[in-house]
Amino acid sequence: MRIAVLRPQVPFARGGAEIFTDTLVDELRARGHDADLVSVPFKWYPGARVLTQAFLWRMLDLEEADGERIDVVVGTKFPSYVARHPDKRVWLVHQFRQAYELDGTELGQFGPSPEDRALRRQVQELDRIALGEATRLFATSANVAGRLDRSTGLTAEVLPHPPQPLPYRSAPSEGFVLSASRLDRAKRIDLLLEAAALEPAVDVVVASDGPDRERLETIARERGLDGRVRFEGRVGEERLAELYATCSSVFYAPVDEDFGMGPYEAFLSGKPVITTTDAGGPLDVVHDRATGLVVPPDPAEIGKAAAWLREHAEDAAAFGSNGKAIADEVTWDRAIARLLS
Amino acid sequence: MTVAYFSPMPPEASGIADYSALLVPALREHVEVNVVKRGAKRPPRGTDLAVYHIGNNPEVHGWILDALRRTPGLVVLHDFVLHHLVAGVTIGRRDGHGYLDAMEREHGVVGRLIAHGVLDKRLPPLWEARPEEFPLAGEVLALARGLIVHSRYVERRAREAGFGGVIARVPHPAWPVPDVAPAEIPGAPLIGAFGNVNDSKRVPQLLEAFARLRAEHPGARLLLVGATSPGFDLDRRLQRLGLQGDGVVREGFVDEQRLWALMAACDVHVSLRSPTMGETSGTAIRALTLGKPLVVTDVGWFSELPEGVALKVSVGTHEIDDLAASLRLLAERPDARAAMGAAARELATTEHDVHRVAAHQSAAFERVAGGGAVADVVLREVSEAAAGVGIAAGTPEASEIARRLSEVDLGG
Repeated sequence: MRIAVLRPQVPFARGGAEIFTDTLVDELRARGHDADLVSVPFKWYPGARVLTQAFLWRMLDLEEADGERIDVVVGTKFPSYVARHPDKRVWLVHQFRQAYELDGTELGQFGPSPEDRALRRQVQELDRIALGEATRLFATSANVAGRLDRSTGLTAEVLPHPPQPLPYRSAPSEGFVLSASRLDRAKRIDLLLEAAALEPAVDVVVASDGPDRERLETIARERGLDGRVRFEGRVGEERLAELYATCSSVFYAPVDEDFGMGPYEAFLSGKPVITTTDAGGPLDVVHDRATGLVVPPDPAEIGKAAAWLREHAEDAAAFGSNGKAIADEVTWDRAIARLLS
Repeated sequence: MTVAYFSPMPPEASGIADYSALLVPALREHVEVNVVKRGAKRPPRGTDLAVYHIGNNPEVHGWILDALRRTPGLVVLHDFVLHHLVAGVTIGRRDGHGYLDAMEREHGVVGRLIAHGVLDKRLPPLWEARPEEFPLAGEVLALARGLIVHSRYVERRAREAGFGGVIARVPHPAWPVPDVAPAEIPGAPLIGAFGNVNDSKRVPQLLEAFARLRAEHPGARLLLVGATSPGFDLDRRLQRLGLQGDGVVREGFVDEQRLWALMAACDVHVSLRSPTMGETSGTAIRALTLGKPLVVTDVGWFSELPEGVALKVSVGTHEIDDLAASLRLLAERPDARAAMGAAARELATTEHDVHRVAAHQSAAFERVAGGGAVADVVLREVSEAAAGVGIAAGTPEASEIARRLSEVDLGG
């Protein structure tokens, strides 16, 4: 099949959605499909720019390329699925969350003016129309599918995808908690830093980069965590796999996350995950005292959880092993078979 | 956001007043709602959006139409056929010319001629005889900045009439289950029909069908609740069908408490009408709340009820046969009644949940209140980009852009 995977691109930014779509193209090609990535820059501000930028996708002619038919397009995150195609499948990574559950929070975008309120509703209407056109509609997690159902009434099949391909392996714990999430506020790495400040037995390695880095480094400095919290920045695949292999647990607690590859990466390394009761998508697979620890979004609770997993290596290994059994079931073979069925 | 809310409110005797009394508290969880006093001519200062509840009764909605004429806003369209309303605010105010103009605006010169016939009393009043042929919704649609409707039927009629603005289809809200004991009325089963007793509620057909049921099930009773319309000779019909005596129980107009008690006593609810004015039935919604199986006419909003909650009867030569068969099935199958009742209750607490309805309505308020400004910005930016690469108005490329904008409801 000739398949175009659609991805909006925020220039200079790279996160889970980018890794997912790159990998999807690779995996489709590995199965003999003629797959390619179609990417359009995306800027969602100011004001109605979110709509005009989304509209760019509508003007694309993706029915054929260079005289050859494109059989299927796969939309992923907002606004790529606004594109037209007779066989438009959507594997929804997320909608434009500022128009939904983030509205009215500090992570929201739309103010109280009638124009901003209408803009938010117009984004929702655009979703309803564009996602309603899909011939098959999948969501990466039950959390994403639930939000979609609540916001548009559309039903998506839950289809998780495997995490990025790393040389996953497991090794004895060196006692630190790993955070490999992108450094932005929604990932709440500050909760982990505050936990480390409260719990002297907790050491932390932060292996990522992002716009929140300066603030997080300031918090670490102000809490006197030098030596116990190490910011490694964005690391290569080999180093990341090594950190996963040698940590005692992985912290992954974004606010109401869509899917989150972090738990799967931890599980494939045989490590348990610490997450929070309000984390959203990760709760599909992180089950308390089965594959990790699920605690309230409170630094003291997170600190206790991290210390407990460090002290109870056998339990931590069992949780990681249970998680691995779940992650092993999520394969590209299965996912692609469903996507194209 | 602040909304000026033009609607009949209790104690006014109107189904839409009851509707608003139920809905306004839930709406206030989302937007600020100022319910304006009856007769107000304009929305108060500081209003972001005026919301007008328009129905067919000129006594109840005439002043609301007057206000809409002064300040366009969002219309909650409870009926699509508004002939009676238009006649009331024209002929009813000694403005025959207004009626002639309304008929001509929507039905051309022929409409004006027919309207003359009505004014000269050479033709029977159209609002009584043939309103569905002359709905006269055009003026309201032209003034509306957006519509909230309760059915696909009204949405389709509005689009067919050329309305191009935002239409939000939002279910009618359901009342919570009332704390009321069922009235003690025997019947095995007890079949209830609530509303005016007249031809358009298909009472003649219901009586014929019920007479057949009663021949087979002597314990069956029919509860008719509502005022008898002038000219409808109920007693003669009952006598002819042999239903005088204890077969039919009559109650006239009843208050809300008694209404719920009577409805709760019934095993089956019948809600028939033809022609439809595009309305939703408040009593049918109450039946859903109570978890009662419904028998309805297969028209308008009633057609859109899920199959699991209502048996639908088409108007036509087999109407009485089908109606009798439906009543018989529900009389003989308590399991079917129970299953339909459970589905009805589920529908009332999900689709028609008042908080869900309020969320959807307030979303529509927000879309309409600032939607014009958003559309202007989007269109300006797109047209500037198009002009920047030499796409001029009227070219095929410009037409394609407009078509794509329209597809995704971005104002093209």
